[in-house]
Amino acid sequence: MPDGSYAHPQQRQFNPYTENGGTILAIAGADFTVIAGDTRQSEGYSIQTRYAPKVFRLTDRAVLAVNGFAADGNMFVKKVKQRLEWYRHAHAKDMPLRAIARLIQTMLYAQRFFPYYVYNILGGIEEDGSGAVYSFDPVGSYEREACRAAGAAQSLVQPFLDNQIYFKNQQLPPGQTRPLHLSLSDVLSIVIDSFTSATERHIEVGDGLEIYVVLAKGRGPQGLEAVRGAQELTTNAEGDRVFIVRRELKKD
Amino acid sequence: MASAGGGAYSYSLTVFSPSGKLVQIEHALAAVSQGTTSLGIKASNGIVIATEKKSSSILMDDSMIEKVAVVCPNIGLVYSGMGPDFRLLVTKARKSAQAYWKIHGEYPPTKVLTQEIATIMQEATQSGGVRPYGVSLLVAGWDITRGPSLYQVDPSGSFWAWKASAIGKNMVNAKTFLEKRYNDDISLEDAIHTALLTLKEGFEGQMTEKTIEIGIITVPSLEELEAGKVEGTGRYKPTFRKLSEEEIRDYLAL
Amino acid sequence: MSIMEYNGGSVIAMVGKNCVAIASDLRLGVQSLGIASNFQKIFPVTDRIFVGLPGLATDVTTLHEQFRYRVNMYTIKEEREIEPETFAALVSSTLYERRFGPYFIEPVIAGMQRTPSGSYKPFIAATDLIGCLNFAKDFVVAGTASDKLFGVAEGLWEEDLGPEDLFETISQTMLNAVDRDTNSGWGVVVHLLTKDKVITRTLKGRMD
Repeated sequence: MPDGSYAHPQQRQFNPYTENGGTILAIAGADFTVIAGDTRQSEGYSIQTRYAPKVFRLTDRAVLAVNGFAADGNMFVKKVKQRLEWYRHAHAKDMPLRAIARLIQTMLYAQRFFPYYVYNILGGIEEDGSGAVYSFDPVGSYEREACRAAGAAQSLVQPFLDNQIYFKNQQLPPGQTRPLHLSLSDVLSIVIDSFTSATERHIEVGDGLEIYVVLAKGRGPQGLEAVRGAQELTTNAEGDRVFIVRRELKKD
Repeated sequence: MASAGGGAYSYSLTVFSPSGKLVQIEHALAAVSQGTTSLGIKASNGIVIATEKKSSSILMDDSMIEKVAVVCPNIGLVYSGMGPDFRLLVTKARKSAQAYWKIHGEYPPTKVLTQEIATIMQEATQSGGVRPYGVSLLVAGWDITRGPSLYQVDPSGSFWAWKASAIGKNMVNAKTFLEKRYNDDISLEDAIHTALLTLKEGFEGQMTEKTIEIGIITVPSLEELEAGKVEGTGRYKPTFRKLSEEEIRDYLAL
Repeated sequence: MSIMEYNGGSVIAMVGKNCVAIASDLRLGVQSLGIASNFQKIFPVTDRIFVGLPGLATDVTTLHEQFRYRVNMYTIKEEREIEPETFAALVSSTLYERRFGPYFIEPVIAGMQRTPSGSYKPFIAATDLIGCLNFAKDFVVAGTASDKLFGVAEGLWEEDLGPEDLFETISQTMLNAVDRDTNSGWGVVVHLLTKDKVITRTLKGRMD
């Protein structure tokens, strides 16, 4: 209308969420955990950046991978880190992994009616020295598992992991047994294969790969010294140790 | 009354005469035998089809006349009889080959295309408001299953496979000539020369590259077949082609 | 509700060294409700061509009969067996005929193609529901578990697998992919083709 008003009712909507693609994955070993994610960040068919980390070191024994809406993810990690710092100030020690997992649940559920649009995977070493992976939905349901994939290529990677980590649908000849846990080098190969496969078939996955490895206190390097470009991020060499391995992924 | 031919029967296309003939088809065959001679010879490594191309006046530009036609990359046609009817059949044959390509992703085998043409010609002997085609055709083609094959199709829609045959004005003499000259392991080069000699037998006037047309089928080598489609073109190498005037001149000179 | 996911089901085909394999699940369902665990989606076309028809179950039957009709007509007219490549073109043109009212099927074709020298080479292809052909060199997938199949196959498949290794690869791919798909599963059937024989094996899978 001439006065700037409308003849008919108009509807406007704001969508506060975006899906930024990418995939994350974590696998627990007997005394180590591997947490990985690609570094591509996209919106629709556009790549926003080829290097946006989705995996973060929280403590020397805990690594958090966050996938979904990148803005929410970054804010969530920031808040988790802040809570962990307060914990250190209050208790003069790092929060145990299972406590971080419960904290994350509480923080996610606090936003039950305006959730962080993120899928979290927490990996690290428990107080008993065992490798552990916790996976979360956006509102805080969580579970401890041996392995988990999440994000854009979850449907591509998870069944592959079922087969290679849990040995699903594989039968051994009678009398033969399988080792209870895989070695670190086997796990690293499976992680890299998973991401190269996902990169090949999913447009939102690619560019770079960041693999965090958490080793339990007092355990040897388990062949990590032989891995090309492995870099230690540990702050206290007496406790559990964190390493990062970077790899290139296809950029097309 | 059309009493000169088959009496009352000669008008209707689809009524048999008491002697069991369809007179219109006989007439169509008569039109063919007035047409210029064409012939085809199957060699051990290919096929040659050739025809005489005669213009009624020296004033005519005979480069326009086309009596040997490419239907698809592996099949060619030549005719004796009525030119306009041939043109129509070539168009239909080409369409049929393309329709086949659209469905199967490859060009039809010679036998299948010949059957299609024969069906079209047969329909003209049994449909209302039409007359039979006034042509006989020689179809030369190559395909992976049957290799090189040479067929003749008549106005009735009948067709046969030949090792060598001739149609048109001089067909009887030409066939007799071919029977004497033909053997099973004749090479394509020899077959082309035999074709020229046969045409020469009944030829009126000077036989030059302007007054004859030749088409040949070449059999691809196993290497060519295994290699598949030609790099860059995305197509198989054609097995049928018409000889250029230069090539015909060279054959005539020998 | 997508019509492509109404009945569920998945198919995959893989190339090996002088062999091909094609596999499918055996489930027929109506959305989340399971109806049958013996629903064949893969059909023999000739002695060395198989076609898998995942998608809407009613169209599985219709298209199977349509293809049988067309292949029989071809065989009689041409007096020869149809080759995998030609059959793929036939599938494509049959589907494109219904461009604006398609059959809800995404066919997968596997066969041994006769070469001009008389030997046989593996052939696989897949099309979308309107017949757009995809001639892959490694593997093709279709159906409700296609993304899972892509992921596992991309991880397990390698070049020049012998018949037994190819069988193991396609079986593991299929089993693990359908276990993560609610609309596929309830058993798996695998057909393994070499130049002179076809081996068909039915695999036990999770029944949940």
